Parts: sequence; C-alpha cells; structure tokens
Amino acid sequence: MNFNAPIIEARDLTKHFGGTRNLFTRTPTVYAVNGVSFSVQKGETFAIVGESGCGKSTLGRLLLRLIDSTEGRVIYEGKDITHLGTEPMRRLRREMQIIFQDPFASLNPGMTVGQIIGEPIALHGLAKGAALRQRVSDLLHTVGLQPGYAERYPHEFSGGQRQRIGIARALAGEPKLIVGDEPVSALDVSVQAQVINLLESLKQKLGLTLIMIAHDLAVIRHMSDRVAVMYLGEIVEMADVDDLFDQPLHPYTQALLQAIPASSPRQRRSKPSLTGDLPSPTAPPSGCRFHPRCPHARARCSDEQPVSETLENGHRVACHFWREIQNAGGGAPLVSIVSPKLTERLAVYRQRQAQVDGTIKEQSNKR
Amino acid sequence: MLNLSTLSKLPLNEPDRQPDRHDQVNPAARHPVLEVSGFSLKFSRAAHVPNLVEDVSFSVNAGETLCIVGESGCGKSVTSLALMGLLPSPPANIVSGKAIFDGRDLFTLGERELADIRGNRMSMIFQEPMTSLNPAFTVGHQIAECVQRHRGLSGAAARKEALDMLRLVRIPAPQTRLDAYPHELSGGMRQRVMIAMALANRPQLVIADEPTTALDVTIQAQVLLLVRSLQAETGTAMVLITHDLGVVAEVADYVAVMYAGRIVEYGSVDEIFDDPQHPYTIGLMGAIPSVGKREGALATIRGSVPSPEQMPKGCRFAPRCPFVEQRCIDAVPPDKQLGGTHRVACWIAPVEHALSGAVA
Repeated sequence: MNFNAPIIEARDLTKHFGGTRNLFTRTPTVYAVNGVSFSVQKGETFAIVGESGCGKSTLGRLLLRLIDSTEGRVIYEGKDITHLGTEPMRRLRREMQIIFQDPFASLNPGMTVGQIIGEPIALHGLAKGAALRQRVSDLLHTVGLQPGYAERYPHEFSGGQRQRIGIARALAGEPKLIVGDEPVSALDVSVQAQVINLLESLKQKLGLTLIMIAHDLAVIRHMSDRVAVMYLGEIVEMADVDDLFDQPLHPYTQALLQAIPASSPRQRRSKPSLTGDLPSPTAPPSGCRFHPRCPHARARCSDEQPVSETLENGHRVACHFWREIQNAGGGAPLVSIVSPKLTERLAVYRQRQAQVDGTIKEQSNKR
Repeated sequence: MLNLSTLSKLPLNEPDRQPDRHDQVNPAARHPVLEVSGFSLKFSRAAHVPNLVEDVSFSVNAGETLCIVGESGCGKSVTSLALMGLLPSPPANIVSGKAIFDGRDLFTLGERELADIRGNRMSMIFQEPMTSLNPAFTVGHQIAECVQRHRGLSGAAARKEALDMLRLVRIPAPQTRLDAYPHELSGGMRQRVMIAMALANRPQLVIADEPTTALDVTIQAQVLLLVRSLQAETGTAMVLITHDLGVVAEVADYVAVMYAGRIVEYGSVDEIFDDPQHPYTIGLMGAIPSVGKREGALATIRGSVPSPEQMPKGCRFAPRCPFVEQRCIDAVPPDKQLGGTHRVACWIAPVEHALSGAVA
C-alpha cells in the first residue's frame, strides 16, 4: 500500500487524570496514557488494541481533542492542534469524527433520525431546507437504511441499525478521519459482520482514514493495515497487521494472540497465556510495565524501562529481550482451522446470497 | 458421585493439567442430569401470540457441557432463567414442556422447593459479576451464606468452606480476599467469586449465562480453563449460554444452536464445527472474522432477528435465509436426524444440494 502523508500524528502524548487535592486528601493519579507517539497515514486503517484500562479510548479522545492532553502534541495535517482555540477546533471537527461503542447511549432519544444526522450538516452550514433533507436521505441510503427512516426515533431501531445511524451521523460533515471506539463490539456476530463490511466499503468509496479502537483481535486482523498494541498506557508494539499477527515480538502481544479462543475444538488450549490481572494504572509497575505478568521477565525488566526499537520493516517493539524471546520460539503464528465442509458450504452460501441480492436489485430497478 | 471429601482434596494449582474432553468422565457416570423436552414459553396468555421459545429439547449429562449458542433475542437467556425458576409468572407463561432434574419436573415445583434446589443442587453464574454480587457484603460472607443456607453449617465452618472455595478457584491470597468487598476485586476476580459461590454446594448442574463475555480476552482464557478443569474434577454438568463460537470451541461437549426461540441445529462440538448443516450456523461461522490471513469481505446474514410480534409462521430463519423456498415459508421444518447426536431443523440442508435449484 502506498501512503503519502500522515493525516494525524501523536507526539509523546500523555494524559493523567486525578491527582487533585481537596481539603484533606489527594486523589490518586491515574496514568492513563504515557508518552505515546505514532502517525497515521492518509487512507490507512490504524488499529489500537489492548485490554480494558489500557488507555486506548483515552488515546482516541486525545487525538480528537475531546479531552486535552497533560503533555505532548497532536498534529493534524501538519498543523499542531494541541492548543487550537474553541472556534477553529469546532470547524475542524467536521473533518474528524467519532463512532461510539454503544449505539443505545450515543443517539439522543428525543431527536428523530433525520434531526440527528442533519444536525452536523446544519451546524457546519453545509446545506439547508430541501437540500439538507436530500443529504440526510442520501446518507441513510449510503449506510444501507431506507430514506423514510428519517422521521423515526432511535428507539424504533435495532442495535445494528442504530450503529448505522451513528455512522451516517459521523459521515454527515464529510469527514476525512473517523475514530471508531469499539464500533462493532456491542453488536451480534451477524450484525457485526454487516457493519464491518459497511465501514470497509465506505472507507474505500469516500477515501476515509480510520482509527479503530478495539479489543477484538480477529476484527482488527480483518480490518486494519497497521496495529498498535497498548498495555497500561504505553504502546508496546506497533507493526503492519500481517507482521504483527504472523510474528508478534512483544511477549504481551504474543500472550494476547494466544488468548484468542480457538477457531475449532481441535485447538483447545491447556494453559492460560497470561496469569494475573492488569495492574492498577494509579500505581504502574516500575521498569517495563508488563514485567509482573511477563513469563520472560528478568531483573533488568523491573529496573529499567525498555526503549522502543524500530526494525527495518517499520516494526516497533519495546522490550529488552525481544530477540532472545523470538529465538526461543515465542511468537508462533496463529492458524485458524476451518473444516472442509464449512469451507464448501460457505462458498455455496455466499454464491446463493449473491444470486438473491442480484434478483432483489433487478426487481427494485424495474420498479 | 459428588461428595465433600473429593472436592476438598482437589489439587489446587495444576495449570498444566489438560482434561481430555471425552475421557474425563467415568462412563458409568454418563447419565442425564437435566432433560428438557418440548419446552415452549411466551410472555403472554393470549393464544394468538407466538411462542418466544418454541419446542426446545435437550439434555445434559454429568460432567459434560452443553453450549447453547445464539444471538441476542434468540431465547437462550430466557430458557436458562425459566429452568432456574427465575421468571416471574405472569407475564412468563410456560406453554408446554418438562424439565426433569433429579427425578422432578422443575416447571411444576413451588417457590419453596425451587429455593431449596437453587444455589444447592443447581446453581447459576451470571454475565455481570458486579451486579450479581451484593456490594454491601464481603465476598467471604456471600459464599458462606449460601453454604449455611443449604447445609446448615456453623459460621466458622462456613467461613472455612468459603476459604476453600476461594482456593479452589485459584484466587491469589484467599485469606485476605475473604474480607474484601466486591468493588475491591477486578472483573476476573469477581467472576471467580461467582464461580466459587456457584460451586460451593457441589451442584449437579451449573447454568452459566455468558460467564466470560464481560471479561478481557486474557482473563476470559483463564476463566474458561478454570471452569473446564473444575468441571472435570467435580463431574458437574453445565449448560453454558454464549454468543461466542470461540468459547463454544473451547469448552463445549455438545452444542445447541438457537435462532429466534428454536434449536435449529444440535450435535457434538465436533459435529457442529466439522459439518455445520443449518444455513444459520453456516452464516454465523462465516460472519466471524478469522485470525488467519484476511480473505475478502465477511459473509453476512442479511436483515435482523424477527421481533416476537412478527415471528414467521414456517421456519423462523426463512426471511434471512439465502436458500429460502416456498415450503420454508409455509411450514416449520422437522428435525432431521443425521447420525450420531447431530440433528438439524431445515428443509434444505445440506445446502450444497440446493445450489442447482432456481432462486425462489
């Protein structure tokens, strides 16, 4: 893939919450994001993955400046927007949108779908009156909903349909960059597949850049070009999606990949890949933050924070001993076992579905 | 079969132990613990309202796990709540069916009899451990309470029992955790406490409703392994309800695929993964992104689950099925036996035979 310029960059982004003093006590400081740097190229799908509490959602909000960073900078299209004022930031927001996880909580129940999608259009002065209504119905059509739905309220829709409405709203301002904060994780599997396919085709069609924040590694493998793995507020590894899945270098990434449930009962595991829980972000461990759970940890890991190292192919890893771990066969690639009968029947299923879709299209064209 | 002494002598820390799925249970112990037959339910007394759960039958043997897999609204949770007697009636209305547990039909038992069985010989693990634990009591107190209620143990004995249970579910520093409140524990730890409570009275049957859905993937892996090895050790039968085929692949012995209130396919876990028959099962498997190399767009199941008011008359999957024919719309497909334990409720299956035919 050929990417030209970065659309957005994070430089040493840091966000600490709390640490404020009241009359008697000091609230504990949560070290949510710590010195995170990366850049996202135009047209790319960049994924940020990690477990709950790793700071991935905070990072997403920092990028869009929905919250302000404690330290570090955000560069959008070559321009530092870290301290951009309210009004210019508001105008810029048109270009950078977010899709939230919970399609039930993120749509105003008192507004019709038409108002929800139309609001950003009106706000940014893109269209008015009949043109606005036309734009709303085009957007509904784009996300695979009937234009007539504009008159209805969010509660009349299923989770998948609501997520489509959320996507239509994000598209309303004709954005360049969309951050998806777990956009499909609240959806059922069959609906999730529909929304993933929709996001991918929209990205193609509209030339969008996507930043996907997710915990589902299979979804990430399917959708992304590059992946950053976060642990306790830091990026421990970053690489092209195939490199990361085929040759994970950081022991945390390796453990994360091995924890994915089997694709077949023949692949059952006998050992958990990781023991223990994520430590509290109010008191992150010394040295390498992963060391208390790392099966390869040594004395140096608790003393010294590993520096991120970038390899020739752009693969970035922050671990003192990744070479030795790799030589010891730490990151075996994942295989998914699909039975021959399923493969055959799935092909039949797709073929038949394509036929049916073709017939439906013909019929609607005749009308 | 299940007694106290075997459990307390269980080895506590054997992460390497890999129970073999089919040999783990003594063949003599292979008897059904729960047999559900012809179970139908709706939330209405009106005759014209279609059943939300329709003609569901399955059984679970000692030491085995049956996974009920399906998407939201397929009736899997309602089925489990009905079995536990946790659905208020009205509005719930069990239209027909039996659930034979321990020689008695659960659907005919009174509230008192159910209360004696629940948490004792039959227990439940819920999805959200934060809302299922009482925030005002320590976890030790909550485990001890269910031991005292059903076994009449003294306070000190119950506390000791609670400690043993925390050890059994591999909670680090169990002595201190005994006096911890739920909010002081992490999600994975709370779910372990739930499992400890569910197993405290050595139930014959555990019903687990999405026990790992709220957990992170590394914690989920720990909990699933724990459940599997505890089950192999205790011989408890388990009904595990999930939407995640990965979880099914990890723990199931048998699988029931549910769609819109019906079991559309049933079989051993190998039968379901090697030879999926129902178009819904096939679509579901194709809709999951693979962790292997990327292969084009995902298969999708068009549309969404029918609402209870618009339940199709024939096959409930017909409106979303790419293989739909007239007979699918007209009549409910009967169960087709496919050898072994495998059965499918579909007029068309196997789907490769349908390919030559014209689109209806």
